Amino acid sequence: MIKWRKWNNILHRDIGYTITMLTLVYGISGIAVNHTADWNPNYQLQKESFSLEPVKGTATPEMKQNVMSQLNLKDEPKSVFRPDPETIQLFYQGRTYTVDIPTGKGIIEHVRPRSVLFEFNQLHLNTPKKAWTWFADAYAASLIIVAITGLFVLKGKNGITGRGAFFSIVGVVIPAVYWIWYQYL
Amino acid sequence: MRASILLFTFLFIAHAALAGDGKQYGKELTVKEVTKISDILAKPEIYNGKRILVEGNIVDVCKERGCWIKIASDKDFESLVFKVDDGVITFPLDAKGKKAHGEGVLSVKTFTKEQLIESGKKHAEKEKQEFDPASIKGPKTVIQLKGEGAVID
Repeated sequence: MIKWRKWNNILHRDIGYTITMLTLVYGISGIAVNHTADWNPNYQLQKESFSLEPVKGTATPEMKQNVMSQLNLKDEPKSVFRPDPETIQLFYQGRTYTVDIPTGKGIIEHVRPRSVLFEFNQLHLNTPKKAWTWFADAYAASLIIVAITGLFVLKGKNGITGRGAFFSIVGVVIPAVYWIWYQYL
Repeated sequence: MRASILLFTFLFIAHAALAGDGKQYGKELTVKEVTKISDILAKPEIYNGKRILVEGNIVDVCKERGCWIKIASDKDFESLVFKVDDGVITFPLDAKGKKAHGEGVLSVKTFTKEQLIESGKKHAEKEKQEFDPASIKGPKTVIQLKGEGAVID
């Protein structure tokens, strides 16, 4: 009895256990970031409208003070911007106030990172770069090992020469047919 | 219980690794001298194709992919779009209001009325919005910095 299958199964099992968490991270994030046209997978965005008196002042600092006073904001904003002569924006951590100067009508935009998903997406998309690039490479190599060793875990009719062959071929045909359809038809 | 502890430990480490100010995005900055955005917008042809460094507060971020930020000029009513290739850099949506230094190559392109209408139609179709071709009055010059690296305070 050759021992390669024993070591194959040990590798498959132990690497499999090790990468379970990261596989969940990449899988969940993968679904989330596949649909960026429909939602923002990293942040929750909420907009609320409000109405003030027309903003008083001639220069930006006066207008900023007037808006802060009307909204009862005690803290100084991180920054202020005038995108056009009739609009003033006040930026705070996680929220932006945009006010139409002549009418006083405005919108507060709240931005909050989505719990758990934000971290998952940052790791999946390798936002941190640096050391995480190496971890991600090691994870990808581990996935390749788990995939290949997985083919040879079982022998007999449920192994790669029987049932396993059928499902492995299905796994090749689906992306191949899709690619031919996408590229040439 | 153990699984919960593991999950929270993992999230804590990930959050700690991802948090912090003065973050570097993309390549390291190499240009030392800052060019004023107001100077660029006043005479864009001088800077077209040149590598430059700009600074200013972030006043908008791409909501879908974080693939651009808008940096406020040193003068009112002006800003410059700092655009990166999708996936190369992902700017956080909560960077609004923070100060940024961005380095890249300035691109100045003039689009004809027909090109703008075509692109407007495609954008509206993608975003499932209405588009009125009459809203395009004539050709438009688009000035943006093809971003390669940025530091956000």
